[in-house]
Amino acid sequence: MILYVIALILTGAGIQMVLPWWILPLWAAVLALGFNLKAWPAFLGGFLGAALLWGGYAAYINSVNQGLLAGRIGELFGGLSAPLMVLATALFGGLFGGLGGLVGSLARNMLPLSD
Amino acid sequence: MRILKFAIVALITGALTQLASQHQPLGTALPALGPLLSPFTGFWQNAEPMASPPDGVLASPHLKGKVDVVFDQRLVPHIFAESLEDAAFVQGYLAAKYRLWQMDIAIRATAGRLAEVAGERALERDRLQRRKGMLWAAENALKGWQRNPQEYALIEAYTQGANTFIDALRPADYPLEFKLMGYQPEPWSPLKSAIFFKSMAETLSSRYEDLSATNSRLVLGDSLFQFLFPEYNPRQSPVIPADVQWAFAPAPLQHQATDAPEMIGQLIPHRQLAQPDDGLGSNNWAVAGSKTATGRPMLCNDPHLRLSLPSIWYEIQIHTPEVNAYGASFPGVPGILIGFNDNTAWGVTNGSHDVLDWYRIDWTDEQRESYYYNGAPRPVDKLVEVIKVRGRAEPLLDTVRYTVWGPVVYEDPAAPYFDMAMRWVAHDLPEEKPFTEVGTFWKLMQSKNYDDYWAAMRGFDNPAQNFVFAQKDGDIAITVDGKLPLKRPEQGRFVQEGSSAANAWYGFIPRDQVPTVRNPERGFVSSANQHSTGPSYPYYYNGYFDDYRGRLINRRLEAMKDITVQDMMALQLEDYSLKAEEALPLLFALLDSSATALGARPEVKALRDWDYHYAGDAQAPVLFELWLEEAHQSTFDELLAMKDSLDVLLPETWRFLELLSQYPHHAVFDLQGTPKVEQASDIVTRALESALSQVDGESWASHKDTHINHLANIPAFSHQHLSVGGWRDAPNAISEQNGPSWRMVVALGDEVEAYGIYPGGQSGNPGSAYYDNMIDDWVAGEYYKLYFMKGPADRREAAIFTLSFESRK
Repeated sequence: MILYVIALILTGAGIQMVLPWWILPLWAAVLALGFNLKAWPAFLGGFLGAALLWGGYAAYINSVNQGLLAGRIGELFGGLSAPLMVLATALFGGLFGGLGGLVGSLARNMLPLSD
Repeated sequence: MRILKFAIVALITGALTQLASQHQPLGTALPALGPLLSPFTGFWQNAEPMASPPDGVLASPHLKGKVDVVFDQRLVPHIFAESLEDAAFVQGYLAAKYRLWQMDIAIRATAGRLAEVAGERALERDRLQRRKGMLWAAENALKGWQRNPQEYALIEAYTQGANTFIDALRPADYPLEFKLMGYQPEPWSPLKSAIFFKSMAETLSSRYEDLSATNSRLVLGDSLFQFLFPEYNPRQSPVIPADVQWAFAPAPLQHQATDAPEMIGQLIPHRQLAQPDDGLGSNNWAVAGSKTATGRPMLCNDPHLRLSLPSIWYEIQIHTPEVNAYGASFPGVPGILIGFNDNTAWGVTNGSHDVLDWYRIDWTDEQRESYYYNGAPRPVDKLVEVIKVRGRAEPLLDTVRYTVWGPVVYEDPAAPYFDMAMRWVAHDLPEEKPFTEVGTFWKLMQSKNYDDYWAAMRGFDNPAQNFVFAQKDGDIAITVDGKLPLKRPEQGRFVQEGSSAANAWYGFIPRDQVPTVRNPERGFVSSANQHSTGPSYPYYYNGYFDDYRGRLINRRLEAMKDITVQDMMALQLEDYSLKAEEALPLLFALLDSSATALGARPEVKALRDWDYHYAGDAQAPVLFELWLEEAHQSTFDELLAMKDSLDVLLPETWRFLELLSQYPHHAVFDLQGTPKVEQASDIVTRALESALSQVDGESWASHKDTHINHLANIPAFSHQHLSVGGWRDAPNAISEQNGPSWRMVVALGDEVEAYGIYPGGQSGNPGSAYYDNMIDDWVAGEYYKLYFMKGPADRREAAIFTLSFESRK
């Protein structure tokens, strides 16, 4: 699962630079399929990988921007602070990464060769 | 089982992903959360690092040579180009880079294309903009530009520059508001620059009172109407000093047809369309060297426009072999509108003339296919407006009928007698001449002397402006410049019959006869939207003129000598009101003549001691404004009573004050609903009572509640509840949402020294430190010394970063 998380972070970063955001669940599914993960590890791994990737990148941007824009956007979302916007971003990414991982694992399940 | 599990989870994941990709999903107001929250594509990408950006290099086939741009500490670009066109290209590129969404939304709002991105709620507004012919006006302006190769080359280069930036955008790079509103940037075009220009025409020259004046005159009768609504304030201090002699024989008013009914004789059930804000206006002045400490002229300008974020202004310096100019530009138009160069400085205030009149259309048939004109039916031209509406499969088609006067804006099948067409100078195809408005500003940027200034004035048509000018070796001048309709007395005050050519304007005031003055004896020229001239000017004109700022500014300038830059700033920041100075003693005299105990109230005692300054922390102006307003409204209760069914006009404040002082027993002071016959003193006392019940110790700043809103009214991107004084009758005309949108003071000389500030920032991006960085200093009345570079090698101050542009063939 650790390898899956690392692979999702590294390849996910590259692929999201060029493709729209919805590539995240799709790519998490494809990777989970390749890594042959069971359902829970796949969900957790997808969640963790995507949350670290989205949350980490957002946290970096937020720090060089000194929280200026995230604070303003947070006001649009009921007054969330900049750090909470980073957390919300991480959780949102995590959710779709996790779901993607789960889908990938369940797809693997259906194949005749799976154990 | 496995298949079912997979299917369910895959379905849920797909559905959630789909939902998070949708703008306003399930009828909510939410933007598409997936693309917005993704740090790879979403709002995070608009969060700019606080550290300076790296230097950049860009190549374009549209450039002729090399261009260097130095960004100073406030992110003001200093453009060094080898030709005017290259400078315009880079100005367009930078406008898009820093203000693209603002440019886009301004165009949509003006041309009636908001519903395309905002949906149904913007549809009625869009329809109205189309009916007002805003796009038609812009197309005509564009035709004018296209006839003039030099002028059009600048506009084309600006467009290419903007599009060079826009074409390279990936979705992740879109300005934040596009992401929030869920739509994509479009290419810029010369037509869009024309539309932007027409947005200013709309703001500054579309005011009218024709409907309410017609109703008021019919209700009151002509003699009472003329008594209450005189057109000229005898105490006015006009833009052109009243003692100037007019050395020309006026053009005669000639028409081919006569004997037609002039004015419509029935009350008009239509409502006036939303008018430009009260409090739009501006100050400018130039003082001769004889009055300054430096012995050289100084020029000042502060245009009072809607305060917004991003700001309407973008500061810029443009340097080429032909020009070295600095000043404030509009994102969307090439050139500098208010600024200076090594030799000269120029500025504008709104001329405020009435250049929009209404004509009733006499239809020949119920289908409104044609109308009577000079005794014969004349078919209308129909233009089908196609309005795209977000969320609708099919666009809305709206037919607008065009007459000889202009578009039929007011059209109501239930009241066909009152359909009215709009005659507006801003619609006109420019006459053939070497350049028009954009050219005027590029000529001013290159001007070296008075003759260059006067030549530049010929290009400008609309919205008519008071162009102030100063030259370092001594000349000062001011011109009320633009196409000013030639009218017979009172023409255009009221709705006219559109069935006869005899009711048309008589052409325009010849351009060498527009009000102008050069080096008047008094040693200064100035304007603050007041009347252009005194009664000796041989042509009739009407308009919406300010009565107080100009008189106070002229009084102050008259008294000043050895003027310093600090004196000029102090005058721009002056919060003293001549209206208060004239009104308050009158109110108190009338109050004291009545037997009332109100004068003993502490608030009233404090008001007696007021110094007529609209300071932010003062309380007196709150009570004064409420008192005057109450008195004004209740005096004209007979007119206001009709407000629910008809639009009516109230006399101007200056005339109301004259009535209070000269006619305190006039019948207008009698309240309709009371058996008693009231006089001015009763009105003033009752008004004070009512005003006192409304004050609660609030400061003027808090009562006024000045705000600078984001253009989409997003509170998180706005600055609200500013702690700032001033008022529209004072030179420092900061009202609720309008005010000095750019303050500039220029001391000309061997080395020009200039100061300026606007309440905003150079970047339109709410994720940038330069989005709103000048607001606090603006509120505090600070100025920045403008960094006027002599050339690309002149590096007295450190740059944040530089951009280089190269030609790529």
